[in-house]
Amino acid sequence: MANTNIVIDPLTRIEGHLRIEAVAENGVIKDAWVVSTLYRGMETVLKGRVPTDAFYVTQRICGVCPTSHGHASSMAVEAAAGLTIPNGARLVRNILEAAEFVHSHILWFYTLAALDYVNPAKALQANIADTYALAEAAGTKTADFKAVQDRLAALVAGGDLSIFSNGWWGIDPVKNPAEADALYATDMPAELHLIGVAHYLEALEMQAEAARIMAMLGGKFPHVMTSVAGGTAWVPTEEKIDDLLYRWKKVRDWVWGAMVPDTLAIGGFYKGALSYGGGCGNFLAWGAFNREDQKAENRYLPQGIIKTAEGLTVSQPNVSKVKEYVEHSWYASPSGLNPQEGKTKAISEWTDKTYDLEGKYSWTKAPRYDDAPMEVGPLARMLVGYLSPENESNKAIKGIVDYALGKLGTNDPTVLVSLLGRVAARNLEAALICDWALEWVTELVGVVKAGDAKFFEPYEVKDGSGAGLWEAPRGAVGHFINVKGGRIDNYQVVAPSTWDLSPRDKSGVLGPMEQALVGTPVADVEKPIEAARIVRSFDP
Amino acid sequence: MTNAGISFYEKLEKRGVSRRDFLKFCGSTATVLGLSSAMVPSVAAAVEGAAESGLTPALWINGGSCTGCSESIAQATYPNVADIVLDLLSIPSQETIQMATGEYAEQAIEASHEANKGKYILIVEGAVMTGLGGNTLRVAGKPFIEELKTLAKDAAAIVAVGSCAVDGGWVRAHPNPAGGTGVSQYLASESIATPVVNLPGCPVNPEEITAVVIDVLMLGGLEKLVPKLDKYGRPKYLYGQTIHDNCPRRGHFENGEFVYEFGSEEEAKGYCLYPLGCKGPQTKRRCPITRWNDQTSWCVESGGPCIGCGSFNWVDNNAPFRGRYRRVGQGVFGLQGGGVEPTKLAAGIGAVAAVGLIAHGFGMKAAGRIGKNAHLETETVKEWDAKHQKKQGGA
Repeated sequence: MANTNIVIDPLTRIEGHLRIEAVAENGVIKDAWVVSTLYRGMETVLKGRVPTDAFYVTQRICGVCPTSHGHASSMAVEAAAGLTIPNGARLVRNILEAAEFVHSHILWFYTLAALDYVNPAKALQANIADTYALAEAAGTKTADFKAVQDRLAALVAGGDLSIFSNGWWGIDPVKNPAEADALYATDMPAELHLIGVAHYLEALEMQAEAARIMAMLGGKFPHVMTSVAGGTAWVPTEEKIDDLLYRWKKVRDWVWGAMVPDTLAIGGFYKGALSYGGGCGNFLAWGAFNREDQKAENRYLPQGIIKTAEGLTVSQPNVSKVKEYVEHSWYASPSGLNPQEGKTKAISEWTDKTYDLEGKYSWTKAPRYDDAPMEVGPLARMLVGYLSPENESNKAIKGIVDYALGKLGTNDPTVLVSLLGRVAARNLEAALICDWALEWVTELVGVVKAGDAKFFEPYEVKDGSGAGLWEAPRGAVGHFINVKGGRIDNYQVVAPSTWDLSPRDKSGVLGPMEQALVGTPVADVEKPIEAARIVRSFDP
Repeated sequence: MTNAGISFYEKLEKRGVSRRDFLKFCGSTATVLGLSSAMVPSVAAAVEGAAESGLTPALWINGGSCTGCSESIAQATYPNVADIVLDLLSIPSQETIQMATGEYAEQAIEASHEANKGKYILIVEGAVMTGLGGNTLRVAGKPFIEELKTLAKDAAAIVAVGSCAVDGGWVRAHPNPAGGTGVSQYLASESIATPVVNLPGCPVNPEEITAVVIDVLMLGGLEKLVPKLDKYGRPKYLYGQTIHDNCPRRGHFENGEFVYEFGSEEEAKGYCLYPLGCKGPQTKRRCPITRWNDQTSWCVESGGPCIGCGSFNWVDNNAPFRGRYRRVGQGVFGLQGGGVEPTKLAAGIGAVAAVGLIAHGFGMKAAGRIGKNAHLETETVKEWDAKHQKKQGGA
């Protein structure tokens, strides 16, 4: 059968601009190109500025995960200054970062990804009494299902679908319910679609509640103001801590009560998605959420490297093995540099031949660890934690992952290296982090009660270099700084999307998302929703 | 009340918004718009009328953005502002939340563009990317600037949300390798005269968009908002006062009570952040009043000095962010090219001689302590500052 070319551009419901090109043969993708189509020049903008400014500017890389970028930036400056932040600041930062993770994961699963799995039109057919019964059986939260259904019916009857226009891949779900339905799990009951839509609406409020925690600690979200190099500008009081506890409990109850059971219930109808979308099989996590010793090798979310081809074992990462290649990226700077010494210089001219799938085709560089592409993100973190030597983190991660595997009818953790595994890992992680956040708030109470709490450590950095290696919700993030005479001499960022959306490298090896697309079955090449699901599962 | 009105309230109630909440919302909106409480019924009538007479079409497109302004809109919660806005506008395209993707997303834009020529509002988030002939941002296989031009020509008016869309934001900061610029500058260079409403800030505050939408509904068209804009295209009611004018820490500023170190006891007491580089006196925004994330907090309240993200060319004009302005009243800058030259900044907190700890000169209590015209007596001020050197942080 002839090959079919697939182009998805713009790939919506993500952060940023993305184009996907693929070739399918007999309904299976056999080659893929992931194209980042935006260049903003952050690294050049930072050169020559004072190191403390990087915290404010680098958050603007991503409006969904600014806190993590700011955090990594402050850590890079602290590394250059040889500074360890006070314990109180560590806790405040953990709680702030946790709120961003949970906010981002809720927003991702419901607002960005759910419409790929849940069909709002189908929800119109749900029986309300059966919906309550199903919610109870699935152990998920109820809602005013009747009101949600009425609201949907009014939207459809009004004829103006607003943001739902041209959805379901251009199919009118009212006129062609069967065709619309075919893109989803056909055996998923209408009642589960209605539960999904009801929680889609509740999720808007719950992601906002998590964001309010960031606003409390950081002034506003997006773009927080307090995790400055040296510690935090936010000082807790008893009243503020009370507020924190209240908000965290509310978010935690919802994540455990709706998001986790929804994931398992809906995932049960998409078990086929355990068999494709796995990608490169290599995983990297720098780790996040410091314990009191603030050691990178002892974080709540552990750091580690996994190469599944070499067996399911974790090794400790060494940042000097990271190199970025630009043979297939629109950069004119040297290829194969470690980011601490990296250069980022855009090409200087654009002609008709500049966009070339055989040559340069993306604004993303190709980072490699030990010359291998690495997937980063919740799946990497959950696998690294699952396979790490036994400790508190490993026990917690193993506990929740094994529980989820049981619900999906397996005890084999390797099935997680798949589309569904990537989706589940993110949502399970959200639940774990909610529990940890409550522990950190309690710890913070202890620190404040003890009366000797410190939240900022003064410092000076005239010359030096350092890296802030951390995790954003969507994966490992690294900020690399060189300071000369009190000014930034060089600044490089390796963002999570740089790893996952990487184009081919100098040897022609595909990036992680490109590899995940290869082998994906596409039922209808005109409406390649499976490819979109793969892309969104990375939360680009 | 008409039947139509009743159904509007029923609709709101289904969304969990009570009539009281709705009127409260109209009241706060009236305040933002500079209207008296007597105007609250007019605000309510405008919203009701719009909700009943069909949705105003709006197309939302993303230039060189971080999606932070879309994120910000997603945080609008009380009293269900997002719902009300969704009820008033038909938004067939909003990349971050729309259901369609790929060519179907493009078709949704095109269909609305064709059907509503001259009637739709174009909302632009992110910088206009002009570098490499517009190829620093491509959408649907062509430079974004092509799409912007097509949609801008036929729009009733344009709302540039966030600093990137207003003047390029941080993307325009020196040396601007990617060619980011603002919507109004770019359209002027292309001789496209569609009016542009500028809502600077990084990100935009969702309440600011809501206020503009309601105002437009009351006026009966976005183009009628133009007389209410200042010379930079900003609604005067949103950008008429500085952060400093409304800052809850202002009293401490007057008393000469300052924070010299992050996370310190003085911070816990809520003292003034001016010595840490706060740009509140130079920045025109409503943050202390509107606050952020359902009025939970705002930068200064949480201990973060204002970095002036609502002022023009905010990164180049305000960095280093810990540096203090030589004079409290300075600031406010023209767009690049014409307008006022940006004020020279104090070099940074470390450069005491240059900065002179002017803050104390302006604080009344401190002025009393160190004599008249204290801001000119740099030696005395340096001495005063030196006592606090140990507590100061940052480079």
